[in-house]
Amino acid sequence: MAGILSSALNASANPKQRSEVTKTTFDCLNKKTALILFAVAEAVLGENFLLKAPKFIETVDDFLNYQRPAQREQFLLALLIAETTFGLTIGGSFQSFSHRSIAERREILEKLRSSSLELRRNIYAAFVNVSASTYYASELTWPDLGFAGVSVDHPEILNQPPPIPWRPTDPRPIEP
Amino acid sequence: MAGAIVEGRNVAQDQTLTPDFCIIGSGAAGGVCALKLAEAGFDVLVLEEGPNIPKEKGPAPGQERKMLNEREVEMYKLLYQEGASRLTANGGVKVLQGRCLGGGTAVNWSACLPPRRETLDEWQKRGLPFTRQNLEPYLREVVNYLPIVRNDKYNTSARKFMLGCARHDLPHENLPNNTHKCRECGSCGVGCPYDRKMSGFVKWLPDAVALGANIYTDTKVDRLVTSADRIVEVRAHFIDRKTRPTQRKLVVKPTKGVVLAAGSIGTPSVLMRSQLDLDKRVGKFTHIHPVTITIGKYPDNTLPAYGVPDNMWTPKFASGPTGYLIETGSFFPVLSASATLQHGDELHRVMRDYYQTGAISYAHHTTGFDDKEKYGTVELDENGDPELNYKIPRANVKPMQESLVMMTRIHLAAGATSVYIMRNPPLEVKPGDTFDEIRKIDFTEPQRATIFTVHVMGGCQMNKDDKRRCVNNDFTFKGKKNLWIVDGSLFPTSLGANPQVTIYSLALWGAREICEQNQKPFNLNHQQGGALPWPGY
Repeated sequence: MAGILSSALNASANPKQRSEVTKTTFDCLNKKTALILFAVAEAVLGENFLLKAPKFIETVDDFLNYQRPAQREQFLLALLIAETTFGLTIGGSFQSFSHRSIAERREILEKLRSSSLELRRNIYAAFVNVSASTYYASELTWPDLGFAGVSVDHPEILNQPPPIPWRPTDPRPIEP
Repeated sequence: MAGAIVEGRNVAQDQTLTPDFCIIGSGAAGGVCALKLAEAGFDVLVLEEGPNIPKEKGPAPGQERKMLNEREVEMYKLLYQEGASRLTANGGVKVLQGRCLGGGTAVNWSACLPPRRETLDEWQKRGLPFTRQNLEPYLREVVNYLPIVRNDKYNTSARKFMLGCARHDLPHENLPNNTHKCRECGSCGVGCPYDRKMSGFVKWLPDAVALGANIYTDTKVDRLVTSADRIVEVRAHFIDRKTRPTQRKLVVKPTKGVVLAAGSIGTPSVLMRSQLDLDKRVGKFTHIHPVTITIGKYPDNTLPAYGVPDNMWTPKFASGPTGYLIETGSFFPVLSASATLQHGDELHRVMRDYYQTGAISYAHHTTGFDDKEKYGTVELDENGDPELNYKIPRANVKPMQESLVMMTRIHLAAGATSVYIMRNPPLEVKPGDTFDEIRKIDFTEPQRATIFTVHVMGGCQMNKDDKRRCVNNDFTFKGKKNLWIVDGSLFPTSLGANPQVTIYSLALWGAREICEQNQKPFNLNHQQGGALPWPGY
């Protein structure tokens, strides 16, 4: 059933073309869902998010391989539903999601977040979780957070001052 | 002669194998059984759905596992079920479970607690044979073999927690770990690259391979084939590095039997795919420890990623059927970003504000003690993949609210300038604020707050009640003489403690049963030493 719905929505979706989405072959996405994903990520993360997460689309496409196939289909379906129906049902006009301004897309996200419908809240969570986690997976974003990186790249991380022993009278064996 | 680890992704032809025992799953229970059955002289084959983690020097000094590079973006998809995106059916709970050599032991935060006495008392009422007295030799074996020790290297989250607890006069304890010469990189959750966490792929599994056990990784079990009261075949297929089928198949014809140790979602799903659902009892009464999380924002840089993640806790609220354990941890950018429930400028502000000056505490909540509740159910989706149907029990809502309140109080007492609650919409509590908003969160509705779980239990339980029993007290599956269930799926309730040590101990007990039923010796080899590392608990 989801497959039929997905095919129908994919046929009717006409997402805004973006020069930033250059990838043409995908494992799980297709060109249309990649464009919708870009529009979602732009709303969640802001303009020019690719500057700090240049492999954003590729990373999400690869990550989708590992999802349970039924859950992956639901995510792809959610992208298509967002594009083809949210403009009207949530945004109040026929303009589809990816063709709206970032501010308008964020208004739709805000309405999804606060919806009384479980499905809409789940779509909100999926969109922001996937976008935010993929963005902050990029090492170019780490300086903004003050994250120094991982120890296999920066062994100096392992040379912090010695820890403060606690309860030195505890008789349990202490880790060497 | 030593056995081998075969990477299923590279197997070029269909294969048929005939070991004595086929163990499904290489996590806590599978690793224990592999070693003990190999010690007893059996020909053992372990099947693991996830990838191998070969011992191979990496570029960093002391790096023993080159593929474990600590980068979340690569490690989650490699080491976790569904790329760490597993959700309950209604989307309400993120379920983090290992899927690699060593299973959950490869990715847990190394916390080691014994089963609560009151949990074992409850299990006795339900007909299970375990007590703290008769479990002691098994607990001792685990403590000495790994070993489990007091790790005094506290990260900033732990130190803030200790300070806050002291100011509230709350007892707080060292939480023992299975670490050895820990380097404090903080990366337990994405696999220790230095072999300093004594996980399954460092201890149980290599020791089993040295005694002749063979392990096939990248091998997904489709189903068991039965004949009367016996399992005669295990049918599986190999998967590639992106978890797609390779078209190559494996048939195992074990001469003595099958040991199911695939965890509380995996084990029921294998049974259900094999039409061994015992009139739909299998998969029922699946339990989790729902986790509530707080991040405190402090005036100083906290380096929240580094240091031992999980070695400080308070036992103050742990007792009772809906008690909770507050523990401390570490956090990395991806995990943090995936839980904020924010978008736009607020997302980036929260990440900036709470990351580099943040300290984390979280609470595992006990569930599963109310006989009238259904709790969770593992079901198969249209592709035969497992899905956990779970709704937060009403009885846990107030304790979940109160755990957030208590953690917030502790942060504020330790000097936090605000505390982030992963509610939808997010909530920031500052000194002087009331906690009324926290006490309004309805956790029974999905996406009203971020809820994780890292502990899934039950679904194939041991129980004296015929309407619930799937596993007999000798660990055999009901109606099958050569199928044993040895993992956390046999728990009739949740545990109320980090389950690693209990699963190890029960799997040792299960391995003894298997050896005795097959007329082979079983020995506990590490019984030396003094008191166990949990004084008073």
